[in-house]
Amino acid sequence: MKTKVVLNFSPDAANQPITHNLIAKHHLLVNILRAEIDEIGGKMVLELSGKADDIRRGIDYLKANSVGVRPIKEGVRRDDDVCTHCGMCVSICPTKALALDSKTGKVTFTEEKCVACGVCIDACPPRAMEILI
Amino acid sequence: MKTEKKQTKKAPEGKSYEEIRTKTASGDVVVMAAEEFKEYVRSNGTKKAAKEVDVVTTGTFGAMCSSGAYFNFGHADPPIKMQKVWLDGIPAYGGLAAVDAYLGATELDETNNMLHGGAHVIEDLVKGKAVRLKATAYGTDCYPRKEIDTYVSLKTMNQAVMLNIRNCYQNYATATNSSSRTLYTYMGKLLPEFGNATFCSAGEVSPLMNDPYYRTIGVGTRIFLGGAQGFVIWEGTQFNPGVPRTPDGVPKRPAGSLAVIGDLKQMSPDFVRGLTFTRYGTSLGVGIGVAIPILDEEMAKHCAVTNDKIVTAVFDYSQPSRSRTVLREVSYAELRSGEIELKGKHVPTSSLSSLHKARQISESLKNQVLKGQFMIEKPVQNFSMDRAMKSLDVRSEKEAM
Repeated sequence: MKTKVVLNFSPDAANQPITHNLIAKHHLLVNILRAEIDEIGGKMVLELSGKADDIRRGIDYLKANSVGVRPIKEGVRRDDDVCTHCGMCVSICPTKALALDSKTGKVTFTEEKCVACGVCIDACPPRAMEILI
Repeated sequence: MKTEKKQTKKAPEGKSYEEIRTKTASGDVVVMAAEEFKEYVRSNGTKKAAKEVDVVTTGTFGAMCSSGAYFNFGHADPPIKMQKVWLDGIPAYGGLAAVDAYLGATELDETNNMLHGGAHVIEDLVKGKAVRLKATAYGTDCYPRKEIDTYVSLKTMNQAVMLNIRNCYQNYATATNSSSRTLYTYMGKLLPEFGNATFCSAGEVSPLMNDPYYRTIGVGTRIFLGGAQGFVIWEGTQFNPGVPRTPDGVPKRPAGSLAVIGDLKQMSPDFVRGLTFTRYGTSLGVGIGVAIPILDEEMAKHCAVTNDKIVTAVFDYSQPSRSRTVLREVSYAELRSGEIELKGKHVPTSSLSSLHKARQISESLKNQVLKGQFMIEKPVQNFSMDRAMKSLDVRSEKEAM
């Protein structure tokens, strides 16, 4: 199974090889979607893939090491009232979560495909995209 | 029947404007949206289409250069001759008279906040919001007041008129980026190493693509503008009809454009939108539609043009020059497919022009013509095909003479 989580960690936790341990000790595939670390700690968005038990144990490991863990169902939201369906976002979306339906001429947003990378946010001329993490 | 056929063959003017107007008024007019007409021609040919169809409705919605609106605020008591004017913090040009001002879509406040420029104020007004009006003046005997700080809305103003001096480009470039860094341009976010390519035309649905030589679109043409009815008032600035054209006559580069006018009070936020191009600035998303009369087979042929027959050039926007080299020519069918090939690479494409809204506009216009609510106008004056685009060079006074 796959799940997306937001990690918040203190400077102490930032010094630990957290991702390495998730991979090596908990047998998870880790895809880093976003990482921001500075002197007061950091935030990371990970996509974890593996067995359900391994994911649960991996999350327990993070919590035991003072890392805040929050699962996310959606990282990016589109305001459908604002979107003009121009399609600017389509060519910059790395996962094709945003795609143009040639029949309807509308831009479709498949949330399951979205990895919350955020490249669409400042590319959207009417500013319809919002990042929630 | 026979004589009728002979007449269509001999006379280049198969249908007159007057005939189409009479049919529109009586509800007998045959109207098709642009895509519908192209489909019709595919099965029936241009000859039959010219005979059967009276009007083809086109549309486009995109970031439109050189847009704005002028206002008359009414007179205060004591009156003021506004010298400097701000609407929601965005400077408007007040050097016209006492209480008139023009707000440009790309105008920003002194902090250069690109999330809220002149275009966004225009959108807010169209949405029915009140905006803060501030003005200062030096004061005169007849206009003693030196400042005012109040709120205005479309309801309180005498006139609020959209006046755009260059809209509805006939064709536009495709932009890409060969450099190693992301470029933020008026053509949107261009990813490094040919990461994407952006284009900005509704292609076969776009008004001027369907009347490439401006036979029916000229000064006085009634148009759909921002959800209301407006008019073409002049050629758009940078009007440049002399660019290379396809065998069908469609320009392969940016060519014609329109200067347009319409009542902001009648417009809809669905078709008037403030847009932000990161690190470039603001622009106004405007919806424009033109109902094209199918006067004869020549017009039917023009309106039958499809995306595979319309081409544009791909330019590398990392070249900081006004005359960038053409990387290649592409058709709108290729651009609309989602990717094009550039230097052996499959490059994903993005449109900055909303096909969805273009279709909404052409459909809306079709219904308005069918109901007799939108009357075709014969241009009062056609555009000159002799216009050429000049560039700006640093020159002496003598050289400029």
